[in-house]
Amino acid sequence: MIRLPTTIEAALEHSTTHDVRAGGTDIQERRNHGRRRRPVLDLRDIPGLDKIERDGEGLKIGARVRLAELAEDPWVRERYPALAKGAASLGNPQIRAVATLGGNLLQAPRCAYYRDPEVQCLKSGGSECWARQGDHLWHVCFATRPCIAPHASTMGMVLAAYDATVSVAGGAARSVEELYDIGDTLRDHTLDEGVLLTHINLPRPWSAEQGAYMRATSRARAEWALVEVVVRLRLDRWESIVDARVAVGAVANTPLRLREVERLLIGNVVNEPLFVAAGEKATEGAQPLEDTAYKVELLRASVFDALNAAVVSPPSPLIDAPDEDGSEGESKGPAK
Amino acid sequence: MSTGTTRRGFLRGTALITVGGGVAASGCKTTALESEGTHAPAVEAEGTSVDTVPLECEVNGQKEALRVGGDRLALDVLRDDLELRGAKRSCGHGACGACTVQVDGRPVVSCLMPAVALHGRSVTTVEGLAKGSDGLHPVQRAFIGEDALQCGFCTSGFVVESAAFYDRWRKEKGTAVPSDEEIAEALSGHLCRCGAYLSIYRAVAAACRGDYDEPGGEGPRYEARDKVTGAAQYTVDVALPQMAHAKILRSPYAAAELRSLDWSAALDVPGVLGVVELLNAPASVRYVGQEILAIAAETEEIAARALSAVELDWRIKNHVLSIEAATAEDAPVVFPRGEARRSPANHSEGPALPMVWRGNVRGPGKLFSHRRGLARWTGRDGNHKAEVQGRYRTQTQVHTCLEPHACVARWGTSGGLEVWMSTQAVRHMAEDLAERFGLKVSEVEVHADHIGGGFGSKATLRPEAIAAVELARVTLRPVRLVLDRREEMTVAGLRPQVRTDLRAALGKADDLAIKARAYGDGGAAIGSATTPLMRIMYPQSRLDLQDFDVTTNTPPGCPFRGPGGPSAFFALESSIDELAHTTGDDPIELRRRWNQNDARRRVYDWAEALPAWKDRSEPQHDRGRYRRGVGLSAAVWLYLTMPGSRVKLDAGPGGIVVSTATQDIGTGTRSLLADVVASGLGIERSRVTVEIGSSRAVHGPMSAGSRTASTVGPAAEDALRLLKEELLEVAQTKLRMRRAWAVPEGVRDSVRFLSWAELLDESPVITVVGKRRRDRGGFFAPPIDGLAVGRYLSAAVQVSQVEVDILLGKVRVLQSWTGLSVGRIYNPLLARSQVEGGLIQGMSYALYEERRLDPRRGFLVTAGLEDYRIAGIGDCGPIHVEFIPGGFENVEGGGVGIGELSTLTPLPTIANAVWHATGWRPRRMPLRPDRVLEGLNS
Repeated sequence: MIRLPTTIEAALEHSTTHDVRAGGTDIQERRNHGRRRRPVLDLRDIPGLDKIERDGEGLKIGARVRLAELAEDPWVRERYPALAKGAASLGNPQIRAVATLGGNLLQAPRCAYYRDPEVQCLKSGGSECWARQGDHLWHVCFATRPCIAPHASTMGMVLAAYDATVSVAGGAARSVEELYDIGDTLRDHTLDEGVLLTHINLPRPWSAEQGAYMRATSRARAEWALVEVVVRLRLDRWESIVDARVAVGAVANTPLRLREVERLLIGNVVNEPLFVAAGEKATEGAQPLEDTAYKVELLRASVFDALNAAVVSPPSPLIDAPDEDGSEGESKGPAK
Repeated sequence: MSTGTTRRGFLRGTALITVGGGVAASGCKTTALESEGTHAPAVEAEGTSVDTVPLECEVNGQKEALRVGGDRLALDVLRDDLELRGAKRSCGHGACGACTVQVDGRPVVSCLMPAVALHGRSVTTVEGLAKGSDGLHPVQRAFIGEDALQCGFCTSGFVVESAAFYDRWRKEKGTAVPSDEEIAEALSGHLCRCGAYLSIYRAVAAACRGDYDEPGGEGPRYEARDKVTGAAQYTVDVALPQMAHAKILRSPYAAAELRSLDWSAALDVPGVLGVVELLNAPASVRYVGQEILAIAAETEEIAARALSAVELDWRIKNHVLSIEAATAEDAPVVFPRGEARRSPANHSEGPALPMVWRGNVRGPGKLFSHRRGLARWTGRDGNHKAEVQGRYRTQTQVHTCLEPHACVARWGTSGGLEVWMSTQAVRHMAEDLAERFGLKVSEVEVHADHIGGGFGSKATLRPEAIAAVELARVTLRPVRLVLDRREEMTVAGLRPQVRTDLRAALGKADDLAIKARAYGDGGAAIGSATTPLMRIMYPQSRLDLQDFDVTTNTPPGCPFRGPGGPSAFFALESSIDELAHTTGDDPIELRRRWNQNDARRRVYDWAEALPAWKDRSEPQHDRGRYRRGVGLSAAVWLYLTMPGSRVKLDAGPGGIVVSTATQDIGTGTRSLLADVVASGLGIERSRVTVEIGSSRAVHGPMSAGSRTASTVGPAAEDALRLLKEELLEVAQTKLRMRRAWAVPEGVRDSVRFLSWAELLDESPVITVVGKRRRDRGGFFAPPIDGLAVGRYLSAAVQVSQVEVDILLGKVRVLQSWTGLSVGRIYNPLLARSQVEGGLIQGMSYALYEERRLDPRRGFLVTAGLEDYRIAGIGDCGPIHVEFIPGGFENVEGGGVGIGELSTLTPLPTIANAVWHATGWRPRRMPLRPDRVLEGLNS
């Protein structure tokens, strides 16, 4: 069974009883294995969800924008370099050509137990976490919640570092961090059943942002991250860090924005000991499982690597005459 | 009926099903169900849920108007509705890329993309890529020309992705050559299990450079054109009229007693056509995934749904899932005394000799010990220069064929049986099916035009094939049974995990003594043979060798490319390396002292002169984060062949047809046959037609045990010899060249010369059958069931350069060099492809692959290709392969096999290189980041 609504309103009428589908790369995998069986509500025909638009100073990205389009968008690449890098690094090219930004944010975890149709885990109606008792080599090293599956959304992590917000039809808009502020629940995000994530909103770009995305994997490419890190830095002409955002993924049940690490960096001059200390700071509070202590080491090294990569990356364009409060600033460049 | 174990010898093992073997019971429904396709809902729009919606799109330039349901995927529509079967379903979750097609010019994952998303879009599949007058896209020409494929199952995906990359590259960068990095990034979503990655790099680069802009030659691989255009038909592509679809019900328990089962409710599910039991309840099940019964229905979905209507009465038993658990005091016994112990499958290439069982442990097998007493003595009395010991572990490796095990069966109206099977052994399957179903072999035909990977896992008659045949019999319909990816990864074959304790001592006279105890966990199967290879490698040394099987409640192993080899050479060649570094001896020189075999001498000489080896730095030279090292190891392999195999030629003015009942699993058998015949007669290869892949032809070999080339090559040459005798007679009689004699290029008499090609044009159709003859000097052992063990051993040495990132625990093989001594090479380009593939598979095993089970219940955790990780193109640096000429003069045809030899050295070579780089000696595979970090910290 399938519905193809042409308006958000029509979609909202049925979204509580249907599986909402955008690109389908996650939901179809689960449906194919019988994990989900409700009728499909496909967002294909709802206009306006597939655009990347300049919105005042910032950017408004439709939930159905494909990750490949986001990664290749010239404006995004220029002004939001870490966002483009993250979008270009996840999955593989043919997945990115189909998967959407909204779907990426709301996808279910890749835990093999959760994906196994024969297994009832905490998240799928059972009473115990099979991974905790069983195989959890690729699970979290911040085991602070009942579900220990790492959050699968690279874009969620990246957008947390961009102070992005999401627009929600049928519900309240919220920051990406709030989107994942799930407390001790087993949820993937804080959206209630039936509401629709329609847009992702980015604030105005930084002037001279230096961004980096790092993914630790066992193979060279196309593998779920063991640890992933996004870093955004703004340096002054004396190489002092004026502003910083650091977020990490694949280590916890949600993306983590590391404010302590940001605080450590801001105001300091770029140097190796600072980055080593940042890597160390990133691991604070880690609670590894029996087999995931290595992820703490990978996290330390990956934060260090990402910071180093950021400071050698080409800065995004200077934004003319930025006001101290950031309220005014002339952005040059092609309007989308 | 037999127990399923046949005596046909090597690589046959068992066609496991149940003890007693027979299909226990079956039922069917005669009421045919109304076929689908009659639903045309009145309401289309958004207001209501509908079963199907219209889909209008353009596919390969043609407008299509269809109706699709919500869960139909782009791939389903292309393959099933539009019958474009070049795109393949392999992993089912976007990790392998075999399903890739272009939508508006961009490659997409069609196995996850909903079909409705194609609405209003333009789709290009591999069948529609063509640009040139030859019907080929430049990338397709390049894949043909550079031999960038083997089994071909992943090829259409690679080609579609590469074509999109090429189109974009040429538009933006002209004929600049992309770097390997750029190519790897573009192709990062594609996996090739045969390991054709290096020639894929070459093909994409050459196409971008403009080397293939114009139509050109046919390339080295006979069937390459079919594989790059999607025309090659695999078993999963077979679609017959009225075909039903079957699914198998499997045990969810690792150990249990199935007391009874009742499938009457399943048979009542609308659309179900028949049921066949694969287990005689009451019966023991010994692993999760064991086959219980199979159901055929109108669709796969109905069959799957019906499985849940089967009622099963279980008594769950305690299980053992690891070597440690299985060998503990009071461990539950997987195969208790008596009849059960005769039933386990055999995962070795050799026959399973009778042995003592103690609980779950079978063995020791110690026939290969040599001067055993002395070996023990050396180890004890300290009268030696150096001694090393270690416990080496290799993990369970899954064959991971990209084409899953598949079978389509159809019974003819006159009682004959026709079967399409993804198999490495068409002829043997026909014989086994005939035996099992009480037919004459001539009443059975098994087809395997193309096979999407085998690696040892498709050489026996397996439960899914038997189920398909039996269901076809009871339903009176053709039945298709294809394993899904989870089933494929669970039960379709694996290399056992092995724990080897090895002690090696170097005597005062540089003599070698080894004590080794290998415990192989092949799950519910036996046949561990790790230590015999140590005897074959260093036969003159003092060897105290024992092999044990440890049976566990896990899926049974089956032969996997070089059975026993990786575990044996990992333990042995790591120990030799350690000995050499302990004493300061040269690692090659040391090995040379223990063996004077000619093939070994050739590869040692070659390796000694290799700059990468000669000029290597001191151990642990690098002190920074990235540490490089160079490692070396050697290996040998047996040479098997099937004397008595035949090759038939039907030659005449229309060309030559070469046929034999063998198959090409990507190793190049078709090409070899065509090349031998064409070059032997001095004719164009286009005049030669190769007909293999059917059991009906003259008796040919299975493609396993590295035997195919050494079997069919000489048989084809023998057929040529006979054909030339016939042609000479044609000249002498029909063409009145009464005194003509044969010369290499044709026949001549005192007046004129006629080439073989000219003679063929004048000749009636001649049929000859050539035979693979005995080697000069005979064989090491007389043939058993047609299979002979040759008197010669092949040899290989590999040198690898690795880089270890000590912060991220990542090991990368930067480059490697491999020399092989195997005698004559029929086709250097194809042989190189196969060797590169074997080396890549070995590297993949060393670094990434690991089957993981839930440690409590024994079900599969790594059930897909995102969790079971095989090497991708970006993991492969340059690989240099050298076939060192010489030797094997007494072998018919002058050469021996390379398939297995090429996959033995990567484990020890990489381990030795990691030690050389870091000072840490890996003793457990795979070298995952966590293991590397732990090792470096210890």
